[in-house]
Amino acid sequence: MTLLIGATTIGLILALLAMGVYLSFRIFNFPDITADGSITLGAAVTAILISNHVDPGLATLAGFAGGVLAGMTTGLLHTKFKINGLLSGILVMTALYSVNLHVMGKSNVPLLNETTLATQAENLGMKWLHVAADSDLNVFGWTVGLRDAATLVAMLLLVGFLGMLLYLFFRTNLGTAMRATGDNPQMIRALGVSVDFIIILGLALSNGLIALSGSLLAQYQGFADVQMGIGMVVWGLASVIIGEALVGSSRIGLLITGAVIGSVLFRLLVAIALRWGLNPNDLKLITAGFVFVALVAPAFLRKLKPAATAKPSEA
Amino acid sequence: MLTIANITKTFNPGTPNEVRALRDVSLRLEAGSFLLIIGTNGSGKSTLLNAVAGTFLPDLGTLTLAGQNITRWAEHRRAKLIGRVFQNPFSGTAPNMSIAENLAMAARRGQPRGLGWALNHKLKAELRDRIRSLNMGLENRIDNAIGSLSGGQRQALTLLMASWLKPELLLLDEHTAALDPKSADQVIRLTHDIIQRDKLTTLMVTHSMQQAVHLGDRIVMMHRGQVLHDLQGAERARVRPEDLLKRFDDVRRREQLDSTVAEMLQRNYV
Ligand SMILES: Nc1ncnc2c1ncn2[C@@H]1O[C@H](COP(=O)(O)OP(=O)(O)OP(=O)(O)O)[C@@H](O)[C@H]1O
Ligand SMILES: [Mg+2]
Repeated sequence: MTLLIGATTIGLILALLAMGVYLSFRIFNFPDITADGSITLGAAVTAILISNHVDPGLATLAGFAGGVLAGMTTGLLHTKFKINGLLSGILVMTALYSVNLHVMGKSNVPLLNETTLATQAENLGMKWLHVAADSDLNVFGWTVGLRDAATLVAMLLLVGFLGMLLYLFFRTNLGTAMRATGDNPQMIRALGVSVDFIIILGLALSNGLIALSGSLLAQYQGFADVQMGIGMVVWGLASVIIGEALVGSSRIGLLITGAVIGSVLFRLLVAIALRWGLNPNDLKLITAGFVFVALVAPAFLRKLKPAATAKPSEA
Repeated sequence: MLTIANITKTFNPGTPNEVRALRDVSLRLEAGSFLLIIGTNGSGKSTLLNAVAGTFLPDLGTLTLAGQNITRWAEHRRAKLIGRVFQNPFSGTAPNMSIAENLAMAARRGQPRGLGWALNHKLKAELRDRIRSLNMGLENRIDNAIGSLSGGQRQALTLLMASWLKPELLLLDEHTAALDPKSADQVIRLTHDIIQRDKLTTLMVTHSMQQAVHLGDRIVMMHRGQVLHDLQGAERARVRPEDLLKRFDDVRRREQLDSTVAEMLQRNYV
């Protein structure tokens, strides 16, 4: 049970990564690789602040802000210096590796005895339920650690809230302009919107969400590590793709929900696979393979279909 | 009022692909006038419209619109003054967004976009009304994605969007060229009605001599990046499609002559 709850919680935390990836890859059609660096940046900034006894809420916000800056940098490289989008992201991601090492001062910052949002959630749970720390709860017959339950509920609320906020944002004037920028930049420019500005803003928002995800992940797992971002873009993309397949619709609200569910589901699948003896070293290979199949399969299936129904005259 | 003064644009200068797309073009368009631009392929019609819209900055010359020097303005800034319909029906609308959302974005052309709701009941009611005036039955489908509509329907909506906030200048670049004849007629009628009603200053490019003769109050013929003929007033009133076609033939004959002469010169002297 603890395993499933842990996987679900991490899935929810990484749902913020999935939302960020959804924003850059799907809304903008912008293959933004900055994510690998900005998720670590969020973790690094938050971890170093917390270990210096800054309020965890503030430290989390600072992590978010770090991601915003990283995204803006990628956006500026792309729009003002006309560097290819993929390359802009790679440049910032590479630079962030050094930045993250500088921020942390070493390659790993532990947070074991610090006050984090996770311990704060646990304290809240203690107060509300009138139980002692480290106690187990009985939820519908299952025994669940208080800390696990509290963080899970807190993440559920936070991710639900942020997902809602993102959905509402996409229905504002600015949000519709952002969607249109991805859909048809020529059109939105002709309607008086600076496409450059919107791309910078969108990448800032996307990487802010991704860094927030890293910040929460560090607090949940109790450390920040300079390597933790490797392959995270692909991870987020896998979640988005699973979500799209699940909701099978192009409505924004459903797609955001799908990304969250996709992230949790993917994490659960991974947890189960690891439990069954999957070699953890193969995880990234399998994830990449999965995304490859998901990207290629639709086109492949389309090609199969007309062949099956082709009229003799066309053959 | 639009003043185009000595606009020059050369693409890929100094390379083998150098194209002198606009050569010292000057035009003055009074407020409320409707100018038709005709000319052979590659004569610089689209380039002229793009220069006015700000797709690129001209090498030389000045552009003045509604009393403001817009020569150095970025494209999105000029959009505050300019409404635009493109040749390709896919260019003017965001296909994956709804009809209502597309129109709502156009209703804020050139205005700051903040965190207010893009759509509300009042705006929806208004855009339903305006869409109804197109007589295409689209008013009941305003929540459908615009990508599901036909080219003609999309062009009609793009025209509605471009003229939603009365622009100082309307740019139409062969906006019916990609449509079937019936849709093209429909969109042309709509174009005529909107321009008449709002007295919009308009630059329209067309390859149809019928359109050139029946719409607008002035015809400019471009050739090789220059204005070759400028028909106004009585001369414009007299002109028939055959006359325009004849001028095209003249151009073509001169062109052929030019090339044979060039060939001859080359043969004899090079
Ligand atoms: N962005 C560009 N880069 C290089 N050359 C260009 C560019 N845009 C236009 N040209 C060239 O400039 C010349 C004028 O093109 P333009 O599109 O203005 O012609 P047009 O009169 O609109 O023709 P058509 O009737 O075919 O639309 C052409 O030779 C074209 O190849
Ligand atoms: Mg053209």
